[in-house]
Amino acid sequence: MSTTRWCLGLLGTALAFYGGWLLLTRGHDLGNALVWLAAGVVLHDGVLALVTVAVGLAASRLLPGPARAPVAAGLVVLGSVTLLAIPVLGRFGARADNPTLLDRDYVAGYLGLVALTAAVVGLATLVGSRRRRR
Amino acid sequence: MKLPAESDFTSRLRSAAVTARVGLWLGMCFLICFVTGLISHYAQNADHPLPFPASPVWGYRVTQGLHVSTGSAAVPLLLVKLWTVYPRLFRRPERRLRPLLLDALERGSILVLVAAAVFQLATGLANAAQWYPWTFSFRSAHYAVSWLAVGALLVHVAVKLPVIRDVLGVDVEATDHDRPSATEPGALTRRGLLRATWVGSIGAVVVTAGSTVPLLRRVSVLGVRSGSGPGGVPINKSAAAARVVAAATHPDYRLVLVNGRRTKAITRADLLTLPQHVEELPIACVEGWSASGRWGGVRVRDLLDLVGVPAGTDVLVTSLQGTGPYRTTVLHGNFADDPRTLLALSLDGEPLSLDHGFPARVVAPDRPGVLQTKWVSRIEVRT
Repeated sequence: MSTTRWCLGLLGTALAFYGGWLLLTRGHDLGNALVWLAAGVVLHDGVLALVTVAVGLAASRLLPGPARAPVAAGLVVLGSVTLLAIPVLGRFGARADNPTLLDRDYVAGYLGLVALTAAVVGLATLVGSRRRRR
Repeated sequence: MKLPAESDFTSRLRSAAVTARVGLWLGMCFLICFVTGLISHYAQNADHPLPFPASPVWGYRVTQGLHVSTGSAAVPLLLVKLWTVYPRLFRRPERRLRPLLLDALERGSILVLVAAAVFQLATGLANAAQWYPWTFSFRSAHYAVSWLAVGALLVHVAVKLPVIRDVLGVDVEATDHDRPSATEPGALTRRGLLRATWVGSIGAVVVTAGSTVPLLRRVSVLGVRSGSGPGGVPINKSAAAARVVAAATHPDYRLVLVNGRRTKAITRADLLTLPQHVEELPIACVEGWSASGRWGGVRVRDLLDLVGVPAGTDVLVTSLQGTGPYRTTVLHGNFADDPRTLLALSLDGEPLSLDHGFPARVVAPDRPGVLQTKWVSRIEVRT
């Protein structure tokens, strides 16, 4: 291994140990933080990744050829934006005494994004299938 | 149900050539998040061995806006990157001891990296929406795990550097580093997948960043703030939530200035007779939203002069709030002396609203919003 890699690796190890030490000594509720750290891995590797595989399989069986690429691209975009939207869609942090917080109609906004993505996917499918016919 | 094997994943999209390209941007996002996060953490510390600069006024607004925006941009990048390497989770364990140990070490570092990365994005996003479904302290845990994430990221780059160099040096469709089973064409080309990822990433920023970028306000349909509020500035904590309504509106309210034995108590009416100044300063919150306001009030420096506080002195600002981590904050000497630092009495020409900190609040340039103490009752020399 080259010197660069050794240096990077050692520096990284040192920083990670510093982070671990901070977590152990200043995290306040270490147990809860560890649960959250583990939950992220379990939810991704055990749930989200499987859902993605299932959606991919279903799409490849059900969709006609020209729609596959646009739909796949649309799902990449919309899927990640959906995860990003969970905190605001659920309005979990909303407070009756503060109307300036979470003050948009997030469901309408999200549905708008879904419609926009669907329109672009539909258009791309149409253009793609016309090109193929030529 | 049996566990899948690495060879069960056949899509040629799950390739190191794609991983490295997405990973490069993801790494940059994490680095920006880390550096801007350190800046924010330092700005909130009570002790500043190196003074935090009071200029430019928009400094913290930009760094914290970047922090939250690059975090949002990282979500699609992380998901796609993990998707491309998912089969590696199911690789067969090595038979011989040395490779087995090295493999276990690498898996361990990846475990830390994935756990830390998901943790940072999930807690950061929830925090931006003021959602706290946990019992640990967000600030200290998010800070500690940022070191874990960056450390594990550097280790990961060190391990993968030869592969990264190889695949970034050739075309994205090259197959040199692909798993033997990854040969079937996917729904997209590799370029198509990369483009969709970039669109997702930029889209994630556009639909959220309006909370801090006024130009994007109309299109940021998922932004945590629309930017409206009394005087054009949103509110983080209301007077009702802070339980200060009675104390803040009480006729006996006095601002107390303390320098050792010298003290002075001033009514709000008297504050209004002191020289007034107007400053355009942003409230820039750690949650990533920000808005600029035209604040009017008395220079903090003028108030400190009333009790003979020498220049360069750190002062302690106390709020009427009974509890909360930001009930008292330190206003460092360089901020206290800055002519733009006000004890604000008005916003946009109107008397300060209760939720904005009536009777008086601190507004200083280039500072996290949590330190812009509202409902100020006392300013004293820090001992």
